Amino acid sequence: MKGKYFAGIDIGSTMTKVIIYSEGIRGQVIGPTGPEHRHLANIVMEDALAQARIPFEAVDYVVATGYGRINVPFADKQITEISCHARGVLHFFPNAGTVIDIGGQDAKGIKIANNRVVDFVMNDKCAAGTGRFLEVIAETLGVNIKDMGPLSLKARNKVKISSICTIFAEQEVVSQLSEGIPVEDIIAGLHEAIAGRAFRMASKLKIEGDVVFTGGVAKNTGMVKALESHLGRPVYICREPLITGAMGAALLGKELVEKAMESGKAIKIKERKLTTARVF
Amino acid sequence: MADKEKTKKFINRLKSRNIVRPMVNKMYAEGVTAANEGRPLAWSMVNWWEGDIVMRAMGVTPVYPENYGTVCASTGMAQKYQAICDAEGFPTHLCGYSRNHIGYAAEMKKLGKIPPDAPLGGMAEPTFMLGSGIACDTRFKWFQALRQYYDVPVWTIDTPSYDHTEDIDSDIHEHNIRHKVKELERFIEFLENLLGKKIDMDLVEDYLENQEKVFQLWWEINELRKAKPCPMHSRDFWTLMVPGYYMTYDKDALNLYHQVYEEVKARTDAGIGAVTPEKYRLMFAELPPWHSLDFFEKLAERGWNFVVESQGYHPPEPMSLKTGDSVLERLTRWTYWVNVGHIRKAKEKNYPLFGPVQYYYNWAREYQVDGFITHSLLSCRTATFWLPHAANILKEELLVPSMNMEGDIVDFTVFDPDLVLKNAEAFEESMDYHRGERKRKGLEW
Amino acid sequence: MTTASLHGFAKARKIYEDRGLRARELKAEGKKIMGYYCSYPPLELITGMDFVPFRVQGSINEAITKADSSIPTIVCPIIRSSLDMAMKGKYDFMEGFVTAHSCDCQEKFCRIWEHELKLPFHHYIDMPHVVRENSFEQFKEKLIMFQKAMEAYTGRALDRERIQQEIRVHNRQRALVRKLYDLRKENPPLLSGAENLEIMIALMCMPIEEGSIMLEEIIQEALSRGNGPGEKDTRLMLWGSPLTETNLIQMIESLNAHVVMDDICVGTRHYWADVEATSDPMDGIVKRYLSEIKCPRTFRESSSTFEEEMESRFGYLKDFARDWHVDGILLQSVKYCDTHGYEVPALKAYFEKIGLPAMYLEHEYTMAAEAQLKNRVEAFLEIIA
Ligand SMILES: Nc1ncnc2c1ncn2[C@@H]1O[C@H](COP(=O)(O)OP(=O)(O)O)[C@@H](O)[C@H]1O
Ligand code: SF4
Repeated sequence: MKGKYFAGIDIGSTMTKVIIYSEGIRGQVIGPTGPEHRHLANIVMEDALAQARIPFEAVDYVVATGYGRINVPFADKQITEISCHARGVLHFFPNAGTVIDIGGQDAKGIKIANNRVVDFVMNDKCAAGTGRFLEVIAETLGVNIKDMGPLSLKARNKVKISSICTIFAEQEVVSQLSEGIPVEDIIAGLHEAIAGRAFRMASKLKIEGDVVFTGGVAKNTGMVKALESHLGRPVYICREPLITGAMGAALLGKELVEKAMESGKAIKIKERKLTTARVF
Repeated sequence: MADKEKTKKFINRLKSRNIVRPMVNKMYAEGVTAANEGRPLAWSMVNWWEGDIVMRAMGVTPVYPENYGTVCASTGMAQKYQAICDAEGFPTHLCGYSRNHIGYAAEMKKLGKIPPDAPLGGMAEPTFMLGSGIACDTRFKWFQALRQYYDVPVWTIDTPSYDHTEDIDSDIHEHNIRHKVKELERFIEFLENLLGKKIDMDLVEDYLENQEKVFQLWWEINELRKAKPCPMHSRDFWTLMVPGYYMTYDKDALNLYHQVYEEVKARTDAGIGAVTPEKYRLMFAELPPWHSLDFFEKLAERGWNFVVESQGYHPPEPMSLKTGDSVLERLTRWTYWVNVGHIRKAKEKNYPLFGPVQYYYNWAREYQVDGFITHSLLSCRTATFWLPHAANILKEELLVPSMNMEGDIVDFTVFDPDLVLKNAEAFEESMDYHRGERKRKGLEW
Repeated sequence: MTTASLHGFAKARKIYEDRGLRARELKAEGKKIMGYYCSYPPLELITGMDFVPFRVQGSINEAITKADSSIPTIVCPIIRSSLDMAMKGKYDFMEGFVTAHSCDCQEKFCRIWEHELKLPFHHYIDMPHVVRENSFEQFKEKLIMFQKAMEAYTGRALDRERIQQEIRVHNRQRALVRKLYDLRKENPPLLSGAENLEIMIALMCMPIEEGSIMLEEIIQEALSRGNGPGEKDTRLMLWGSPLTETNLIQMIESLNAHVVMDDICVGTRHYWADVEATSDPMDGIVKRYLSEIKCPRTFRESSSTFEEEMESRFGYLKDFARDWHVDGILLQSVKYCDTHGYEVPALKAYFEKIGLPAMYLEHEYTMAAEAQLKNRVEAFLEIIA
């Protein structure tokens, strides 16, 4: 597959990620999907192309994934984030057996055997237990989301958060703050609650093999620690945990092209034009 | 819960209730001992006595996972077991007791022994499981599903649905009894094959005689509660129902109810109530919040006395036994009777008929209640289904208002005592108003 | 618009879209409509008494506004919706309503229905959950009660010959339905899963013989039309609680998959088994309705091991999967259904054992979460591919 380029674009609820792959990562960009950028998926793509120093026409195949995948007009194929995350994770961790992904608006568990997805579970019904939940609370506490992890590691007595609903948990946090409980103890308690939820969800898969933790929330060291203590074993984190979906998308695209070439079948591709992607 | 502040006591509890706890402990201990000694152990659904006596007579020790649900709920272990059940792929809306027990069973299977932290010593691996067709679908689906973990025989004693023939003189009742007797005969055959021995019908009859005496006393105790003020609070009922439910074969149970009877009778004669002053008389439906029972103290502080409750857990009223009945007929007649007695009562008193919510209608009149508290349960459809309907009927027919509180039998996060207490004040106004209305309309109270 | 000028697919579509249409027409002609719930009230007895049976289903498209004052929200949403529609007068053409003890919710809901609607005729058929010798006797007794209740109501007796005749009429329809299902054994199937469900629902809202004529027309049309559902990669079987609308199947079929077979009570469960000819025709009816309908509401005597039990409970699904060349199973249920809920882990274990991918999809009887359901189905299809 020398000289061929594959693009993976993962449009999440909060972040849009793009990978350009050709015998290694040639471009990698993470940009916000956030309110003002919602229709700018093409811009993130352009950034990535610039990094790879190729024009869009040079890309052989584009796969879109994530919740916004249907709205990417320039993608050749849409594949769910389940398959893409699994593929991306396998690239970095060939022995992965279970993936736990906590993103901005959902949490999922994926089970892998023989390099294939065999089962998955998802919580996408409510914000509780997701990155969004952490963002809301960070705001309430007046803490930068990036500092949540390091702060929580300083906790001495992590509090117990009994509410599973975002709104109630927020109230609980406010009342704990007013009782003078240190911020780090509250944050550690939150991590504990979310990690517990994610663990119970992933347990449905009968966790086996190496566990890889992906998604934006895996950047939070406090969450990593809390999840490890629930699992009773270490979890593996990619250097850039946000990128596995886009990586998997690019690689699955590559495999589709390879398969088509082997069987001599033509593979359908779109006209290479970067039109605006309306995501929401 | 351990971290809960000690609530001040306003309910005058019965002294005799203290006999119950050691009996319950004994029940669980017996289960584990039976398994250790290699005697047959059954995981059994509550079956309204008919299966219990037969099992006991066959030397089987039954333990009751539904009751274990209440135990795990009140010790806080249920959350853990329910999470395991969820992880096993069972939907989360299923009965809280069943989720608790399925989780427990999966955990025991994984450990290969009773989980060391299991409350009351746990429940050992069963020789067989006995499901029941009475009351809800869960009670036979649950054990069917558990066979995935414990591959032991699962039997279900089926039952007709009782309440749907309001004509108490219809032939169908005798037909239903015959069907139930056949169900018991099949069950006995199953046990005889499984255990390789014959049943001793004399022993069944001995147990039955003890049971009938228990019923009589337990029924009379509840009749005494019609007195004003009511001498025994629902909290004591919920404590005392356990032996009347699970141990009717036992002489200890008979002794217990003797003592309770004496105590309640003495109170009635002396005009002592369970709550003083008794400002409001309340009826409670159906299962209480096991984990937050202390909350009733707060209501008692306001003068709320709970005088009757939980229709599914009351003993059958006395009936004249048919001469010529076989032991099995006699046995099953009680199980049938407890479910249709209210229809006969309505006929005798010339009450209008309301099908399966007849109980509440009868009781509201007999116990002269001011209010009807319904406890809708997140995970129990059966005990919740009738509640709005029953509340509508009581309001329309008897001008008795109702108040609902949301909760669950196991998941205590659903229940919000503060909210209920807030609503209680407004509800008192409603009860006062309806009291006046009832007077105006010429109702008895 | 009337249905008189419509045939085949078009007729099914029309009645599917307006379930009460045919019933209202018939009522205007002086026919009597008997509503029923679930697949358990024996239709042979209902048509034998010259009632037109009408299956009450509820609707996912109608917001529940009235029933919540009588039924709690944590029970089967299909039942809540059905009562709600009834309270809003959507079934005002019905003269009577029959339910059976299919599940606990139905046992309870029928009494509330009776209290709220007060139709001229109400009947509840008590039905054993367990299948053993004495259950058949018991069920027979209850069916005789049902027959007597209708006789007392109409003042007309139902004789053996008439029951036997009705059995033939219903069996003929069942045979036609099986023939219709055969069309989806083909690859690509000659009928989409959504079309099939539309037809099943329409059939339950019209007289039996008329439905059979419609079925014959549809089979002819499907065989001769050129534009069937086309090629797709995956053939799915759908198991679970009743579907009252086609949207779930439509969503699945908007992806790269066909729904080629089902095990739901608005499909095979309702039609698969015939009533056997027995000297007392009631015996055949008793046997079919108590033991031949394969619904998780029924407890079958447990066999000696769990493995054997699974085979006896679920073996028919293996046969379906083989004969319809199924690649994967979608287990679906509305939230709050106990009988289906408890079945899921054992079913998943069974399919794993026989090597068929299976996924459980729970929904809340609203299409609000369609995007999320679709995402799951897509991921499942990628696993199968
Ligand atoms: N540097 C960081 N430190 C801690 N948490 C982060 C960081 N960056 C992102 N997150 C968390 O990750 C979430 C977004 O994760 P992501 O996987 O991109 O979600 P999505 O795919 O839905 O956009 C945010 O809600 C936030 O909680
Ligand atoms: S879907 Fe389930 S709960 Fe609803 S009517 Fe059917 S069996 Fe009963």
